[in-house]
Amino acid sequence: MTSALATALAACSAPGDSGDNDKATTGPIKVAVVNAQSGQLSSLGDWEYKGAKLAVAEWNKKGGIDGRKIELKLFDDQGDPTTGTNIARKLASEKYVAMLGTAESAVTVAMGPVLQQEKIPNITSGQSNALVALKSPFLFLNGPTSTTYDTTLAQYLVTAKGHKKIAMITNNGSFGKGEHDAFLKAAKDLGVTPSTDQVVTTDQKDFSAALTTIRAKKPDVIFIGSEEVEAGLIVKQARDLGITAPFAGAAPQGTPVFIDTAGKAAVEGTIVSSPYLSNDTSDASKAFAAAYKAAYGKEAELHGAKAYDGANILLTALKTSKGATGQKLADAIRATAYQGLLGTFQYGEDGVGITKTTIGVIRDGKLVPQN
Amino acid sequence: MQETLQTLVGGLSLGAVYALVAMGFSLVYRTMGLVNFAHADIAMIGAYAASTFYLTSKLPFAVAMLVAIAVTAAIGLVIERVLRPLENKDFDLMLIGTIGFGIVLQAVAILIWGTTGRAVPSPLRSAPLDLFGVRVRTYDLLVMGVAALAVITLAWFLARTKRGAAMQAVAMDHEAATAVGINVGRSNALAFAIGAGLAALAGGLVGPMLYVDASLGGALGIKGFAAAMLGGFGSIPGAVVGGLAIGVLDSYAAGHFQGYSVLVTFLVFTVAIMIRPTGVFGERTVSRA
Repeated sequence: MTSALATALAACSAPGDSGDNDKATTGPIKVAVVNAQSGQLSSLGDWEYKGAKLAVAEWNKKGGIDGRKIELKLFDDQGDPTTGTNIARKLASEKYVAMLGTAESAVTVAMGPVLQQEKIPNITSGQSNALVALKSPFLFLNGPTSTTYDTTLAQYLVTAKGHKKIAMITNNGSFGKGEHDAFLKAAKDLGVTPSTDQVVTTDQKDFSAALTTIRAKKPDVIFIGSEEVEAGLIVKQARDLGITAPFAGAAPQGTPVFIDTAGKAAVEGTIVSSPYLSNDTSDASKAFAAAYKAAYGKEAELHGAKAYDGANILLTALKTSKGATGQKLADAIRATAYQGLLGTFQYGEDGVGITKTTIGVIRDGKLVPQN
Repeated sequence: MQETLQTLVGGLSLGAVYALVAMGFSLVYRTMGLVNFAHADIAMIGAYAASTFYLTSKLPFAVAMLVAIAVTAAIGLVIERVLRPLENKDFDLMLIGTIGFGIVLQAVAILIWGTTGRAVPSPLRSAPLDLFGVRVRTYDLLVMGVAALAVITLAWFLARTKRGAAMQAVAMDHEAATAVGINVGRSNALAFAIGAGLAALAGGLVGPMLYVDASLGGALGIKGFAAAMLGGFGSIPGAVVGGLAIGVLDSYAAGHFQGYSVLVTFLVFTVAIMIRPTGVFGERTVSRA
């Protein structure tokens, strides 16, 4: 009954009609997803959108928020900060109440000031510490920061495994730089200085020079800080050069794109720090994975789960604040304690809601919990 | 020493691919005086087509490559056909036309293959060769071999066949060529088709080395274009030298300057072009505009 009423209400107002004043309390609630849908990072953007869309579809099926439908619209930022900034202005002029994404820290950082000025809360999937440094009260992370990922990883490698010879290879993009700084600090805090610290560029294709240096150091393990495709190419070329040491990394190293790019044999034994290791860890993740499979015919993974959590947090906050916007909505998000797929979210002043990851290992082309 | 040699090997294999891309640029430039800005995206379509026939249709890699070359050659013919009415009339519009085609091809690739790319496994399963500690992938050798063969075939075609000679004549003076009965339109169409076929060869070969997605053209195009410039735009030997030079330069810059390697590569490139604006083998005979 409620859902029929909601549909009827939604049907009455033309799309975008409700944006005439800020305090629209009828018509659909406009939420934007901003993510790369083209370019090398488009797989990330695709997963993110699938996760967010799934959460919104579930809420709409239950009748939306106070009888209002949630209208989700996707914007393609092409992984480009400039495009992102233009989209941020567009979101403001078209009266979107909130934004989900992007998966790219650099784009989120670029969009941040505009969204803060326009008081549009943003739940991002980025993890760079640069996001925290922005100090925007309207910016929230839907996962842990690089510091959390890499501190957990360094502790495992150094303390639990006793590795002393660690090589590093990271790229100089916003994600890679964040990973580089976070892991280097974590390792040094534990008294280990990496035996070599190689930095590559984001569009580099041949890693012979860096990998030959790494090979000469005979490391126990190699820390890798770059996005899915590049990390895959690095691992593939490393194996061809005869490097047998395992790689260790964060979120990108647990994804199918990374595994496919490098090849199943090459990634065997890769150590991954992640808040979401598999679809079988809890009843919630099993239900999520089943719904994801039913909707898209594909296996769910970390980024979809992150975006799903982020969307659910936003929608919960919209519900508790009865469809508030601006500052009130941001306050409501900060007050939301949410038990998600990635763990228990409780936001602090810095916009970080989750500070724990676990260690997994790739076995037979699949990320499984470390035992 | 070992590191230096390993870097050289890594640079040469990608350099061979850049050389193929540069050759396609040069061939079209040579005959029409036109830089085909859609060239890199044709290479991307070629990479996608080759990977589709190889992985999805399960054709042998060599056959998949041939089909991909045929597909892109057809695209080249279409582009030439669309641009033909502008030839010798509006050169700027032709240039913009090729840029437009590039954008269309990217959009088409996303429509057909989606936004997520695909990883192509190497068609050669054999382990890398170990030469005194320098590891050489067998697939890299294959790429270099195929590229060398393509260079020789193209050089032979241009120098020794009637069609090739006709193309050279059109390149030198299209009005005189028309006067002696050479069909300039057909010659241009052939240049576009061969150029596009070379693009597919480069794209298809690079697929198993990199990752195939709609932005692949960007990665290949800028280096291939720089290679053509460095060698001397329009020169086939120049394209080869330029391609290998850019590949090796890129590889060494990555080793010594790490995160600043792109900057260093293009600084060196800029200086080289300033010293020798026409490139290594440059001869500015072609200027149709």
